[in-house]
Amino acid sequence: MIVCVLLPRFELTVAAGDREELLRTPAALAPSGPTTRDARVGEASPTAEAFGVRAGTPLGEALARCPSLTLVPPDPAGVADRWERLLVRLESIGAAVEPERPGLACFAARGLLRLHGGSLERVLTAARHALRQPARLGVGPSRFCALAAASRARVRRPVVVAGGEAEAAAYLAALPIALLCGRHETAGLSEPLERLGIATLGGLAALPRAAVADRFGAQGLLAYELARGRDGELAPRQPPERLVEELELPEALSGVQLDRALHLLVDRLLARRERRGRTLRTVVLSAVLVEGGTWRERVPFREALADPQRMRLALGQRLALLPAPAERLLLAVERFGPPASDQRSLLEEAAAVRRSRLREAVRQARAAAGPDAALRVLAVEAQSRVPERRVVLTPFE
Amino acid sequence: MSGPAGRTHRLAQPRRAQVESDPADGRPCTVGGRAVDTVRESWLIEDRWWNGSPVRRRYWEIVTTCGRNVVVFHDLRGGGWFVQR
Repeated sequence: MIVCVLLPRFELTVAAGDREELLRTPAALAPSGPTTRDARVGEASPTAEAFGVRAGTPLGEALARCPSLTLVPPDPAGVADRWERLLVRLESIGAAVEPERPGLACFAARGLLRLHGGSLERVLTAARHALRQPARLGVGPSRFCALAAASRARVRRPVVVAGGEAEAAAYLAALPIALLCGRHETAGLSEPLERLGIATLGGLAALPRAAVADRFGAQGLLAYELARGRDGELAPRQPPERLVEELELPEALSGVQLDRALHLLVDRLLARRERRGRTLRTVVLSAVLVEGGTWRERVPFREALADPQRMRLALGQRLALLPAPAERLLLAVERFGPPASDQRSLLEEAAAVRRSRLREAVRQARAAAGPDAALRVLAVEAQSRVPERRVVLTPFE
Repeated sequence: MSGPAGRTHRLAQPRRAQVESDPADGRPCTVGGRAVDTVRESWLIEDRWWNGSPVRRRYWEIVTTCGRNVVVFHDLRGGGWFVQR
């Protein structure tokens, strides 16, 4: 059984901070990038949704629909920090958690039953206590079914869909097609399906598979499988090591002074004992802005490094993108590389250089897009008469 | 699956298919709701009979009326139709 933990409007709640009254008025997250013609608002409060403002509504349209709309500056650093803390709390009960997006995570309950007294209710109670904040919990045989159950659950009343694929399909049949927005792969399908008159997941599941594939391609097939109660395996994350350095800036700094602050942060981070001589592969540079809100930039280095000068060079370019003066600067390690030992051969052969470049490119692709970014086809039984036994996809190295 | 080191995916895994077949000779008539235009080839595979999971399949390479070239097989042990390309 899969447990889904859902915290609706998580990003808006974090950005609103202690101004809880904002969530009771028409409010939405302001567009995160520079304000252009196609800027879109982020998550919206229930009152704003009553005016027809939703996440992704163009800014101009949102203000036209609801002139009293309050735009809350987004807080990406705060969201990442708070979400990480919640994931660690869930992991503290023994759960192997797969985070889908901030505010939505899943874990398998089976391995936790014995750990928490043998019943699902106790696992859910443990999860609720660990989170220490109201969350909707749903349980189902598949990830999508658990998400659907969580979206129907109340804070103290989880919804449990027992059984297998057939029971999941039966439960999902009456639910609105808009639930497909809960998965980023199928988020774009709910609107065209509604326009075609398919209002429920049952309606989608009843369509011929070939017709769905012809009209919507791979995305449509995934939505079709989800509506029929089938879903992929959970891919839990590897709990990361947390290593952060921060610096309070006494006044709004810029130019050379800001570079000095970065200089100090890099030196402090590299001096931390927890680094244990390892290089850094990806870091996160974030700032708390003077005028409210935060700024966050993920920086994967071209190669894993522990050279402060090269780090400053890469980070300095990103720091120039800071949208407003900052009152606090933070530098965190997201991923470590191997221990620093870049020993090169006396005579570099062209083939060896090419191989090492390729290896480095694969590492960079993995740092940016995850471990499945580079795979290779390996013939294990090339002469087998059974096609699925011939080749497998394995990590590149 | 745990970490990149332990990750392997088999390619060309069979996927269950909706096939209607001719009861007389087992030849597929429709695949995924599409009528079969031509049967290009058919062959039988019997493999792994020496261990606990033998494979016995009748393969059909067909072309549907929409022009797709598809390889399907009928599992002669467990039953059911599968598509493999």
